[in-house]
Amino acid sequence: MRRRPGIGGLQTHAAARDQFRLLGENVAKIRTDLMKEQLATFRSQLEDFARKHKNDIRKNPAFRSQFHEMCAKVGVDPLASNKGFWAELLGIGDFYYELGVQIVDICLATRALNGGLINLQELCHLLRQRRKNDRGVVSEDDCLRAISKLKVLGSGFEVISVGKKKLVRSVPTELNKDHNEILELAQTQGFVTVEEVERRLSWNSGRAIDALETLLDEGLAMIDDGHRDGKRRYWFPCVSPISSLIGVDS
Amino acid sequence: MQKLGEFKLPHFFNYPPYFTLQPVRDTREKQIQLWKELILDFCKTQKIFVIGLEEEFPLFTNHAIERSLTHEAREAFLSALVSEGRAEWMDKGHRKCLILWHRIQDWADILIQFAKDNGLEDGVVTIEEIRSGTESQGTELQGIDRTILNRALKQLEQKGKLVVFKGTSTDDEGVKFSI
Repeated sequence: MRRRPGIGGLQTHAAARDQFRLLGENVAKIRTDLMKEQLATFRSQLEDFARKHKNDIRKNPAFRSQFHEMCAKVGVDPLASNKGFWAELLGIGDFYYELGVQIVDICLATRALNGGLINLQELCHLLRQRRKNDRGVVSEDDCLRAISKLKVLGSGFEVISVGKKKLVRSVPTELNKDHNEILELAQTQGFVTVEEVERRLSWNSGRAIDALETLLDEGLAMIDDGHRDGKRRYWFPCVSPISSLIGVDS
Repeated sequence: MQKLGEFKLPHFFNYPPYFTLQPVRDTREKQIQLWKELILDFCKTQKIFVIGLEEEFPLFTNHAIERSLTHEAREAFLSALVSEGRAEWMDKGHRKCLILWHRIQDWADILIQFAKDNGLEDGVVTIEEIRSGTESQGTELQGIDRTILNRALKQLEQKGKLVVFKGTSTDDEGVKFSI
């Protein structure tokens, strides 16, 4: 734009700048409006989708899981509140709430046997047994979601990884790295000996015994002095296969 | 699920550490509770009335996992039953234990019912008939341990529900009901 000399020129310049600014604001507004519109469209399409596939979402865990991922991508959390559209349409809030309550129940019931640490697989198995008559399958993904909701409530539940397995912790017991390593070692046979811990992890005797005794005191381990080789074994119910523990019937 | 004859064994029976008395209190309490239930259940279904601690009681050993309860463990579990009134030591040395999978009171009730079922409210019957007569076939009284039966009878006698009388020999010991 050509600058005209003098006051007139300055005024024109200012006016032009204002117009540009207004234009800029308009453009920004248009973009925001567009975005809002796009989101609104997307959201209503998501809602349509949910309505149409309500039964699939309820019954099919794989489908349910993908649905969650889709929601997450647009920042929609169907579980955010127990009221409102999502909860009412899908009853999903209730579904996870119910799962959460059952999970807490199972963890409490098995706590005396496993010290408050339970294998995720085992938890799901017991959950499925308990829900035998309810429609729809429950997947590990469902369990994890329900547990993450429990976490939000501050109930002390947490999922920890030990080697290839996931364990659900329902007690405040903090597992340090040493404990974690022992649990991982125990996964192969369900137990460890002091000697094995020392050898495989290259620890000294004191460190091994310390860690094992703590796990014992916390109720996470049980001793076994009955093997004919006379060596004490420390068994870990939380890493043993399902059939080792007493079934918890509802 | 592993079975001992027809009896279904609980899962914990196959988990080696349960055969070692646990040192941590909470764990031990749970262990004792599980064993108490198993022992009572097993004795009830198999109609076992006496357990000898040094004898080959089927629950004391699990050959599949090569574990056996130590004497200390056996005594701990049975003592727990005794404390609960579900068993009694038969000797000071704690070598034999009488298992009350029915309490004496329960046996007394069963005897009363037996009398009523067989029209014996005023009747007479020998002790042996109670244990092995035709009327007791298929009932819980069949094969009942003599010590337990005598205790139940004594309790009922004290309540005036019956009178025990001795015959010329043990076989003639009898009972007159007055229910």
